[in-house]
Amino acid sequence: MINQFAYNDETVETRLKTVPSGFEVSVGENIYLVSEIAPGKFQTHLNGARKLVCCVVKENRSYIDIDGMLIELDIPSDDGNMASSAAAHAIAKDKIFAPMPGTIVKLLVKEGEKVEAKQPMVIVEAMKMENQVNSPASGTVKKINFKDGEQVGTEIPIIELELPVP
Amino acid sequence: MSKKLFKKILVANRGEIAVRVIRACKLLDIPTVAIYSTADKNALHTLLADEAVEIGPPPPRESYLDFKKIVETARAHKCDAIHPGYGFLSENPQLPIACEKARLTFIGPSAEAMRLLGNKVQSRIKMATAGVPIIPGMKASGENIFQFESAAEEAGYPVLIKAAAGGGGKGMRIVNRREDLASSVEAAKREAKNAFGDDTVYLEKYIENPRHIEFQVLADDHGNTIHLFERECSVQRRHQKIIEETPSTALTPALRVQMGNAAVRVANAAGYRNAGTVEFLFDKSGSFYFLEMNTRIQVEHPVTEMTTGVDLVVEQIRIAAGEKISDYVLEAKQRGHAIECRIYAEDAENNFLPSSGEILFYQEPVGPGIRVDSGVEQGTVVGVEYDPILAKLIVYAPTRELAISKMIQALKEYKFLGIKTSRKFMIDVLSHPEFKAGNTYTNFIEKHFSDRTVDVVPALELAAAVSTVAMAQGSKARPTAVKQAKGLSPWQTIGPWEIGMRITK
Repeated sequence: MINQFAYNDETVETRLKTVPSGFEVSVGENIYLVSEIAPGKFQTHLNGARKLVCCVVKENRSYIDIDGMLIELDIPSDDGNMASSAAAHAIAKDKIFAPMPGTIVKLLVKEGEKVEAKQPMVIVEAMKMENQVNSPASGTVKKINFKDGEQVGTEIPIIELELPVP
Repeated sequence: MSKKLFKKILVANRGEIAVRVIRACKLLDIPTVAIYSTADKNALHTLLADEAVEIGPPPPRESYLDFKKIVETARAHKCDAIHPGYGFLSENPQLPIACEKARLTFIGPSAEAMRLLGNKVQSRIKMATAGVPIIPGMKASGENIFQFESAAEEAGYPVLIKAAAGGGGKGMRIVNRREDLASSVEAAKREAKNAFGDDTVYLEKYIENPRHIEFQVLADDHGNTIHLFERECSVQRRHQKIIEETPSTALTPALRVQMGNAAVRVANAAGYRNAGTVEFLFDKSGSFYFLEMNTRIQVEHPVTEMTTGVDLVVEQIRIAAGEKISDYVLEAKQRGHAIECRIYAEDAENNFLPSSGEILFYQEPVGPGIRVDSGVEQGTVVGVEYDPILAKLIVYAPTRELAISKMIQALKEYKFLGIKTSRKFMIDVLSHPEFKAGNTYTNFIEKHFSDRTVDVVPALELAAAVSTVAMAQGSKARPTAVKQAKGLSPWQTIGPWEIGMRITK
């Protein structure tokens, strides 16, 4: 059985084999021996080195903790669409979304304005802290969908950009 | 304890501190009433209290900050005291005033002491008069931009804009140049208004790269005012403390006595009762300046508890009930070393953006000298409405060196899945040679970690291997999750992409 996972632009392919002591998973050159010792807790062996890893899979995303380091892997869904909105939103460099639901404190650009990549675009408040959202690319502000003081979710972009033709 | 201190206590807070207070009440055999917003219906504090009352919708102003409703609730549920925790109403004099009118005991200082100390401008002047050193700056709050400009010129840049009602770095801005002054004042006012409901700000000289050292004090109605030594909270990010420890590596026994005495003088000058914390800035020359006094229990109170053996919340309740500070507390000594790490719901690898979502997996570290003060558990949904602090991890060891390694180990064993937390970042900070050397100043994070990156690529194979088994194990519940890849995967056809911003479901 072949599985695929994605992390940013890295893709990792694994092959799963059931063995009496648990599972053998081949990844690249390595074969990991993995057994689930309690829900979410996995004992892993690689070339004699043991490590306890925690992992939960939910909605086409796998959450893994290795010694305090958190890794989230995307799992391509059956219909080929990436289920996570993070992945879906990340493709679009011409749309600027709120990092999380919050309130628009201040828009720093106007429609029609030319902007540079990484330029501060909008300040969004969430959890009582102000977060500055920067432009993902250089371009022109095509449309602004919110006003200062409005509530914003992560579904509708705050700002839409017109990107220069490459 | 033979005599019951209170009949019933309402805990006017949420999260880990509400849990901490409820547990202290249980120790004293005092029933508790929790209040909760609709967002916290299944929160840990709601579940732990003897009674729980829905107080309003998620926005704090309509729930945890609605002191009238809270006092009415306390009366209706036959409480005779309110514990405010930290944040929310804890430093708002309107709560003790409303409590007095309703014949409830407020577990904290008087409204007068709170009003004086809550106003950073007035308390500066008062403490200067009492002979406590203060930072140069405005002697009154700023009304217009011209006042800020002239005060800034007088103090000399860089300057610091601070909320008069402030704390926790909210409503605070460092200004390096005159050009940035107006926009910084504006931003500080906005944040102050949102966080404290008061947009008054003032300006003082910015002391560059000091240490932040504070003293825990306790004062009762029987003439006892004592300090329980220091906590060093220099490791901060965006003025938000992230790691606290005691004792401070910077203090000599003589300085400790000197600052401790100054802290007691501050409490006495303010007519203070109950537990409070006197914060000082400590500069490289060894001079210290009064910063402010926090009129409540502090987030970082556990490190004092670990090294002195004092239960500060129990003492708060006893003092509020008119008791003397316990004898064992009056004789408390500093012993060993304690460190606290604040576990925030934030993505340290992506500009510390707040993280929200359901905690899918949760496991606390255990072992000798390891303490977790947590407001969450597995299944808790972390929202965006409140402060991102989820829990605090505290360790105690005989020496600082051992405490650091114990904390690193405990952070590795503290498991949170489903939301991002700052654990790995904390591990990196604690492992830094300058932290180990005790060279902790308030610019520590900025200086050593401003361009920190974490390379997870070497761990991707292991992560994918475990995920593969997790999917196979969970496939009974979700049969479509594991499927045979055939031919070209849609994943490969979708083209290159990258995560530009953090978006969490």
